[in-house]
Amino acid sequence: MQLMSNKRKITGLLATATCSLLNQNAVAQEIPGWYVDTAVLGYTEKDRVDAVEPVINATRIFDDGAKLNVKFVLDSLTGASPNGATISDQIQTFTRPSGRGGYVTPAGELPLDDTFKDTRSALSANYEFSLNRLTRLSAGLAFSDEYDFTSIGFNSSVARDFNNKNTTLLLGFAYESDTITPEGGIPVRFGSVRLNPGRGPKWEDEEREREGGDEDKTVTDFLVGVTQVINQRMLMQLNYSFSSSDGYHTDPFKVLSVVDRTSGRPLDYLYENRPDSREKQSIYWKTKYSLINGNVLDLSYRYLWDDWDIVSHTVDARYLFDLTDRLYLEPHVRYYTQQEAEFFSHSLRSGDALPQYASADYRLGAFDGLTYGTKLGYRLSNRSEVSMRLEFYDQRGDTVGTPIGIQNNYDLFPNLDATIFQLSYSIRF
Amino acid sequence: MSEAIQRPTRLVRKGTLWVGQFEAMASPCEILMSLDAREVAEELLQLAASEAWRVEQKYSRYRDDGIVPRINHSNGQPVSVDPETAQLLDFAWQCYTLSEGLFDITSGILRKAWSFQAGAAVPNAEDIAALMPLIGLDKAHWQSPDLTLPAGMQIDFGGIGKEYAVDRTLAQLQQRADVPLLVNFGGDIACNRCPDPEQPWRIGIEAPSRQGEALEMVAVQSGALATSGSSYRYLLSEGRRYGHVLNPRTGWPVEEPPLSVTVAASTCTEAGMLATFAMLHGRDAEVFLEKQEVRYWLVR
Amino acid sequence: MKRLIPAVLACLLLNACSSLGVQAWERGTLAKEEMQLVSDPLAAAFDEHIYFSKEASSGGAGFGGGGCGCN
Repeated sequence: MQLMSNKRKITGLLATATCSLLNQNAVAQEIPGWYVDTAVLGYTEKDRVDAVEPVINATRIFDDGAKLNVKFVLDSLTGASPNGATISDQIQTFTRPSGRGGYVTPAGELPLDDTFKDTRSALSANYEFSLNRLTRLSAGLAFSDEYDFTSIGFNSSVARDFNNKNTTLLLGFAYESDTITPEGGIPVRFGSVRLNPGRGPKWEDEEREREGGDEDKTVTDFLVGVTQVINQRMLMQLNYSFSSSDGYHTDPFKVLSVVDRTSGRPLDYLYENRPDSREKQSIYWKTKYSLINGNVLDLSYRYLWDDWDIVSHTVDARYLFDLTDRLYLEPHVRYYTQQEAEFFSHSLRSGDALPQYASADYRLGAFDGLTYGTKLGYRLSNRSEVSMRLEFYDQRGDTVGTPIGIQNNYDLFPNLDATIFQLSYSIRF
Repeated sequence: MSEAIQRPTRLVRKGTLWVGQFEAMASPCEILMSLDAREVAEELLQLAASEAWRVEQKYSRYRDDGIVPRINHSNGQPVSVDPETAQLLDFAWQCYTLSEGLFDITSGILRKAWSFQAGAAVPNAEDIAALMPLIGLDKAHWQSPDLTLPAGMQIDFGGIGKEYAVDRTLAQLQQRADVPLLVNFGGDIACNRCPDPEQPWRIGIEAPSRQGEALEMVAVQSGALATSGSSYRYLLSEGRRYGHVLNPRTGWPVEEPPLSVTVAASTCTEAGMLATFAMLHGRDAEVFLEKQEVRYWLVR
Repeated sequence: MKRLIPAVLACLLLNACSSLGVQAWERGTLAKEEMQLVSDPLAAAFDEHIYFSKEASSGGAGFGGGGCGCN
């Protein structure tokens, strides 16, 4: 019998067929089974907040590649946090946000509210499955509860592979609804804070101070991302995110000092007031590069801007290298810088008309953050690993606007030095 | 599910390499690993052996609870298969089309008529003709993940399994440890990269006529080699030689197949398919291989 | 008939699929755990939580799970 096929070149088609045959289970983390990760995070700020956060995360990968993930987090927080008031050369006295009792800040020190003590528990679940060979769908629920705050959220995404699985397009959507119920109620916007009599302005009418029991906020997020395999050693990701939140954005525990327009000494303290909506956008770029010696470089940059005039840049670099066959080290550096929100102010000047919005929350101010540290990991076997991470996070702020009187003598931004420690253990069954 | 295969494994140090050995798919298997830590080498060896044994067990024609007997005994009823088998069926289907029916996973039924044991006779033309309606993958209905095979037909993955296992094993080992590795299952070979550009892997290609003696030493940095051989199994009848490479389109042996064909390609699966296709082209094997523009070694 | 073999075979191996990205068998390195976009999801979630509560920016890399009253 005379065959026709010996005249045809079939290597191209055969290679394509082989590609799809061998593509299955290409990634180690896609082998069916149970994956359990446990970790505990210790977070300590010098003279301020301490947090301990244990986590357990379990993932089941089914034979058909579907993935079910359940995660539980406990987060207990204690310590002090800046209340927004500026430093004075006199003793300052504040009532606690709950309305019960007060605290005194010595002259020349940053006013800190030391009442923070809260435990947050968060539970989330996510299910991901293949619709067909190129498309994956994912849906998740998240629930978080603490003493004065409840959040419930939903998210969903679709990922589609193109170009021989070298390009992945991701579309995501997330919705979150938050309720805050501060002890003592929601303060009146720009309402005067109750003060100890005898020092500074007099406390006015208690009934006018707080408006009601709770406030809500909803957050809607959209994400479009492209991941591209560049070559055998490199891949890149580019995301655009849009986030819109509506509702109560004010921090009920934060105040602003009203200072004398010449001396800069506090005359009154007002509850802060923020806009009722925020639209935030970001561009995120990330690359992973494996060097010829097997070391891995992880580099990312985020540019973020919003309609509160906040603009931030984040650069993050990690470099993983093996010390032995089992032991690896991953140093990490992160640099963050942000520009202040349009309504950020260290204090208000007496005699000036109240602005529409104002907050002295340092997190809305202008500052730089630097994180540096390392992770040390040990692969016990191909199924289990232990690791620890030690990092330092420092925030250094800029003075926004012109300091008044005594404010010139102090650093108005509450500089922050924090230590991050994490211990993890992962195992696959 | 029946007991997983467990056979002895052996790990020996040869120069700067760890060499792991075991047996799978009726062949001696070998893993060459360029690394120092013995425990890592042992772990890789166990990983390789369990993957080879897994493929052997999963696609065995003989284990009653396996997917292949389940399909072969489906009696014309649709069988829903797992994702891995679906990928293999997709691939078998593409190979059937690419080879214009020369490579056919339903051709194994010809074993009922053809035996190459000593003393076996050449079958009657009628016996062959009776089997022909049961051959041809195009007679099956494949709509992933459901396969409907007409009653009486059979499939087997014998022509794909070993090379597939080589590629899968190499990929899994490399995920565990990104070191220079070579996987050799009974002469079907794949490697990721060599220990040193100055020192490529050296692979001997055997000449079937002088078994055990290397015909040629080939230096390989990365990629795969696979061999298809017609070996010594043939029947002689009335001065005619009937080789054991059967053409599924006729039911009769391919005319003048080479004694052995070795092909180099990026993956072992691809190399194995090209070697098999070449063998099925018989006297036109060289013409076919030249057309494919691949490196090959052929013995007549 | 047989052919002579040059010393280095790798250079001559065919690369038949499209030229962008990599082929299935070239994914060995990319498939490693440390080459995943998020190689340590728990640490990433902790960091997202820390920076969410200390800075005015959050998100961008993907979706975190669960809100927090800390900001």
